[in-house]
Amino acid sequence: MKHSDVKIITANAEEIEINRNELALRLKTDRNYESEIIEKCRKQFNKVVNYRCAYIRIPVDLSQENICKFDFAEVHSKNLYKNLQGCKEVFVFAVTTGIAVDRLLARLNITSQAEHFITDGLSSAAIESFCDYVSDILKSGLQCASRFSAGYGDFSITFQKPLLERLSASETLGITLNSAYLMTPVKSITAIMGVKA
Amino acid sequence: MKDIRKAIKERRLYFDGGTGTVLQKKGLKPGELPETWNITQPHKIVTLHKSYFKAGANIVKTNTFGVNRMKFLNYAELIRKGIECAKKAVSEVDDGREKYIAFDIGPTGKLLEPLGDLPFEEAVSIFADNVKVAAECGADLILIETMNDSYETKAAVLAAKENSDLPIFVTNVYDGTGKLMTGADPAAMIAMLEGLGVDALGMNCSLGPDKMLEIIDDFAKYASVPIIVNPNAGLPEVVDGETVFNINAEEFSDYMVQLAEHGACILGGCCGTNPEFIKKTVEKTQNMPYQCPTEKDFTMVSSYTHSVIVDREPILIGERINPTGKPKLKEALRTGDLNYVLNEAVRQADKNVHILDVNVGLPEIDETAMMKKCVSAIQAVTDLPLQIDTTKFDTLEQAMRIYNGKPLVNSVNGTEESMKNVLPIVQKYGGGLIALTIDEKGIPDNAPDRAKIAEKIVSRAAEYGISKKDIIVDPLALTISSNPESAVVTLESIRLIRALGVKTSLGISNISFGLPQRNLVTSTFYANALQSGLNCAIMNPFASEMMNVYYAYRALNCMDTGCVDYINYASAIQGDVKKDVKSEENLHVCIVKGLKEGAVSQTKKLLESISPLDVINEHIVPALNEIGTAFEQKKAYLPQLLMSAETASLSFEEVKKKIPTDQTDKSKAIVLATVKGDIHDIGKNIVKVLMESYGFTVYDLGRDVPPETILKCALENKCKLVGLSALMTTTVPAMAETIKLLNETDRSIVTMVGGAVLNQEYADMIGADFYGADAMDSVRFAEKFYAG
Repeated sequence: MKHSDVKIITANAEEIEINRNELALRLKTDRNYESEIIEKCRKQFNKVVNYRCAYIRIPVDLSQENICKFDFAEVHSKNLYKNLQGCKEVFVFAVTTGIAVDRLLARLNITSQAEHFITDGLSSAAIESFCDYVSDILKSGLQCASRFSAGYGDFSITFQKPLLERLSASETLGITLNSAYLMTPVKSITAIMGVKA
Repeated sequence: MKDIRKAIKERRLYFDGGTGTVLQKKGLKPGELPETWNITQPHKIVTLHKSYFKAGANIVKTNTFGVNRMKFLNYAELIRKGIECAKKAVSEVDDGREKYIAFDIGPTGKLLEPLGDLPFEEAVSIFADNVKVAAECGADLILIETMNDSYETKAAVLAAKENSDLPIFVTNVYDGTGKLMTGADPAAMIAMLEGLGVDALGMNCSLGPDKMLEIIDDFAKYASVPIIVNPNAGLPEVVDGETVFNINAEEFSDYMVQLAEHGACILGGCCGTNPEFIKKTVEKTQNMPYQCPTEKDFTMVSSYTHSVIVDREPILIGERINPTGKPKLKEALRTGDLNYVLNEAVRQADKNVHILDVNVGLPEIDETAMMKKCVSAIQAVTDLPLQIDTTKFDTLEQAMRIYNGKPLVNSVNGTEESMKNVLPIVQKYGGGLIALTIDEKGIPDNAPDRAKIAEKIVSRAAEYGISKKDIIVDPLALTISSNPESAVVTLESIRLIRALGVKTSLGISNISFGLPQRNLVTSTFYANALQSGLNCAIMNPFASEMMNVYYAYRALNCMDTGCVDYINYASAIQGDVKKDVKSEENLHVCIVKGLKEGAVSQTKKLLESISPLDVINEHIVPALNEIGTAFEQKKAYLPQLLMSAETASLSFEEVKKKIPTDQTDKSKAIVLATVKGDIHDIGKNIVKVLMESYGFTVYDLGRDVPPETILKCALENKCKLVGLSALMTTTVPAMAETIKLLNETDRSIVTMVGGAVLNQEYADMIGADFYGADAMDSVRFAEKFYAG
């Protein structure tokens, strides 16, 4: 089923500033560490990345304790229920760097482990940064809960499936799930963000 | 008898519009699967189809978009009922207009291997199950739609071809950049789909008609079959809780007029469109003159991202993946070391070749299995089109089947045996075809007879529906060392064959076989051949003489505006020279700083004066120890450590060349694997690079490796040291299981473990002999282990 109410946000590589702290954390370096090889990897990454987000804004029914009812699923989760307190609506969204990043990583895995390690870290930091970028756009003028993803706490990872289907993510973003609920492209994130009433 | 194949060549037909968005208005709940209505509310589906027929549509899509055996146990019933609904609608609208039922196939929602986990043949089989039911029930055609992956599209087309005789229409989803989500542009899709013999192709969903206008010219330029355009009604907006699209029926139909002017043939709609959109579109376009695309004359091959067109520009086909005369590649193929093959692929791609030849023919291996493995793995790391090079017909068929795109095939020749076997395979899967001018009598010694063989192959191919444009003739270059006239005859053959309007190719290097300084002869011959009209050269992109000719020829023949490519190429050569002069830093510094070129040249220099072992012990190892210590003291970071390790490995490669193979020290070895169930291999790979830089032989088993495989490798190679990695808590039990199996079989095997979820306590609990907190830690332990 193609859902037609799904909206898209895209960004160029130049529009997304990769968060330095996120990157340092992944490369296990100091926050201000820079090197030629990291710059080379950044350029390669920026050449292929295709930041895309698909989102919807839908009601949530919290009338039963510890149950969050969305139009695509009924989620039994204490953690998500708590997170969404005071919300009547939520943004449901998914973001990705695109499949070309997976191909770049596969190639670097053959040619250079150093570049592979760095690019893997860069792309993880980049998708987090894009996720923040998208959250800021969605939040503008609203008060929102912090974003919450399937797999956090007792919000089961199995909800990735209905959530991605609700976003028609296969068509809109090229995101698919494998049998272990891992997403391809690998650098993809899904989340629910409550809108405070 | 209705014949839509004929109809679309003569007149404009119309598809219906959106299904899901219309059904939502009729009460379909979010999350409810629309296909279930075929059984529960068939009257609503019939009404939907009828409303589109009444609006002027000729083709309705059955309500089966999401039906397949993975999602619905009762998929066959849903298909049957879906087609029944469409048939009922056809019978109830009796207005004399022609009407067709398109059996609708949407994507599975799974990504195919190698990037995803759905095997290609599994995808073919899922689609085949659908097609079988639809063919029985009397659909008029098959519409494969909303596909955003070229590979899945190919699986669906093959399933349709192999299980019915129905016409096949295909529409893909392009994004704002004019590409599929997995990378293909229209030309790449057209090359592949026309090669597979589809009857009409185009685009649907995602974009509105305004955005499709930006892409339609690419379709009109390359397509030889009718073009389908089924856009969305623009972009969705939510107004008062309801989804509305931003382009109304009036604007939509105005755009459709423009699309038709630009070459769109079959018009319809997708999400957000309803009968009104179709009605207005029909009204405004039905009296426009109709032009079915003319047959285009492009010689095209493609990958999953782009096409390569063989025309004026010389085409380079990298020849390095061919075991003939390459002992290292032979060894890699025998041991199944795909990394070596992939490295050759990426290195050639970096030299800007256009196509990669893939030949894995060795008598002692299963060529078909190896070819399939290589084609799939190479396509995962480069996006260049491939030339499948084999003399075995079964290997050719299997490789063409799983290839993602339209490959080049090397080769057919003028013998009956070759033509009757190769041509049907190319007819089925679609491909460019290299044709060798040799027949039962051998290679003619003169050009006119070689041209005659070329003509014979072209006309035989035509009997199979393979067009002349898809044939590239190779008139065969034989070495001038034994055939003095060879070059002259071959060049004359090229001129004659080009005069027939057929493209040409040559395995260029053969010309100099047996001569000293071969590249001199080969590159001069290449220049002559280009001047004679040669299109493709199967060549060695690492031979700078060849690349010199290529870049200079393009600059001299107005193929390189402003000589931009030539200047870039020339300055890169200059840069290399300067780098060599600059790398006066000694080997120790090169390794510590991660300067790869410098390290290689310094190693070569050292090897002239001191023994290989001294280079290792006095230069490489101390440098590695220095950066390793700096890392341990947190004065250097992991990226630096890895760069140094890679640099040291290159240096090691140089040293190894000076050590006779029988004296290579295989005593320092380790088996490495990420355990079963775990697909994270970064940590394991880091350890591997470091181990190699310290001169260890590493048996890398990859990720998700069962305990038995690890044990088998350790026993076969008599390797007593095994390193295991795990990143997920869920896979630590698999690690414990592996250690248990190793210990039970051979207590002298020592296990070391590492990974994000482990610590000393865990490691002790699962019985590991050593826990490595980081990669350096692991190397130090391995060194100690072998030092005794």
